[in-house]
Amino acid sequence: MSPRPTTGHVRRPAILKAAAEVIAERGVIGTRIADVAERAGTSAPGVLYWFDTKDELLTEALRFSDEQFYAQLHRELEQLDGPRERLARIVELWPAEGDGEVVLWMELWVRALRDPAVNAARAALDARWRAAIAEVVRDGQAAGEFSAVDPEEFALTLGALMDGFAIQLALRDPGVTPAQVRAHCLALVEERLGLEGVGR
Amino acid sequence: MTVERTARERILDAAMDRIASDGIDAVRIARIAMDARVSTALVHYHFATREALLAEALEHSFETAGDVREEAGDDPVARLKGMIEQCLPLPGELERDWVLWVELWLRAVRHPELRPTAAKLYASMRTWFIAAIEEGGFGDVDAGAIADRTLALIDGFGVRALLGDPEVPLERARAEVWHALAGDLGLRDRVPSV
Repeated sequence: MSPRPTTGHVRRPAILKAAAEVIAERGVIGTRIADVAERAGTSAPGVLYWFDTKDELLTEALRFSDEQFYAQLHRELEQLDGPRERLARIVELWPAEGDGEVVLWMELWVRALRDPAVNAARAALDARWRAAIAEVVRDGQAAGEFSAVDPEEFALTLGALMDGFAIQLALRDPGVTPAQVRAHCLALVEERLGLEGVGR
Repeated sequence: MTVERTARERILDAAMDRIASDGIDAVRIARIAMDARVSTALVHYHFATREALLAEALEHSFETAGDVREEAGDDPVARLKGMIEQCLPLPGELERDWVLWVELWLRAVRHPELRPTAAKLYASMRTWFIAAIEEGGFGDVDAGAIADRTLALIDGFGVRALLGDPEVPLERARAEVWHALAGDLGLRDRVPSV
C-alpha cells in the first residue's frame, strides 16, 4: 500500500458522490478516474487510494447512493400513518428518483453480464430492495390491512414491474408516461394486497 | 446484389455473437469482419457506427425470429404462454438476444439515435401481444394496458433471470409473468409454487 496521498483528506463519500454523478453522465466506459477525481476535488491517486477499478467505483457508488436512498426512505416512511401509505410512497419514490439512478442500474446490469463480482453486488442490492418492500407488506398483514400473499413474492413482482417500466421511461418511449407507470404499480399493489384507492 | 445481401447478413450474425460475448463497447469491428469473412472496410461501409451495427443486428434478429412468432396455435392460452416463452432469455439464441437487449437499453439512453430502434422493437412486441389478447376472446379487457404491464414484467423478470439471480430462475420468471397475465385476463391460475 502506497503512503496516504496528500489529497487523502477528500473522503470516501465525496468520491462516491462524484463517481455516481460522472458515471451516470458518461458511463463506466466513458469515465476516467481523473474525471471522478476532478469532480471530487482530488487527484487520481486520491481516488485510487480508495478504489482499485472503475467497476469497484460503480458498485460502491451504487451502494453509497442506495444507503442515502434507504435513509431517505426510512425518514419518509416513519412520518406516514400506515402500511398502505408507506407502500404508495415506495411506488412514488422509485421512478421519481431520476434518470441518473436508472442509468446506474443499467450500467450495473451490463457490467454484471460479464463480471461475477459486479453481479454479486447487484444481487445483494436487489435483495435489499425486495426486503424493504416485503417488510412493509408484513406490517400491513400484521395490522390486518393486507391480504395474506407471500411478501417476498409480492416484493419480487413489484420490483420487476418497476424496473421494466423504469427502462421504458429511461428510453423515453413515447408510449409510456410516469403517471401511467405509477398507476400500473399502484394497481398491482391494490389487486394483490386486496386494497382500494391506494395513493389517492 | 444477392452477394452483397449475404455478406450483410453474415456481418449481422457475426455482430450478434461478438457483441453478446464481448459487449458493444469492447467489441472489435475487425473481429466481426473476420468472423463474417469480409473486410473491415465492408463492415464500415454497411454500418457507419457501433450504434448502427447494434440497432441493425437487433432488428435483424427480431425479424428472423418472426417465423417462430407466427406459429400461433388455436388455443389462446397456449399461444400467450408460448409468447412469454419466446420473450424470456432461454438458453441459446434468446439468451444471446437478451444480452444485446440489455446492451441496447444502456446504449440507447446514452445515444438518442438508438431510441427509435428501441421504441420500434417495443411497439412491435406490444402490437403482437395486443393481437393475441384481442383475438383470444377474453372478454372486455384493456388489451393495451395488459400488454404494457406484461412487457414490463418480462423485462424486469427477464433481466434477473438472465443475470442468474438466485431467486429468479427461468421457470419462476415464466410462472410469475403468466400468473400476472392470467389475472389480467380474468383466468384462474394457481399461485406459482416455486
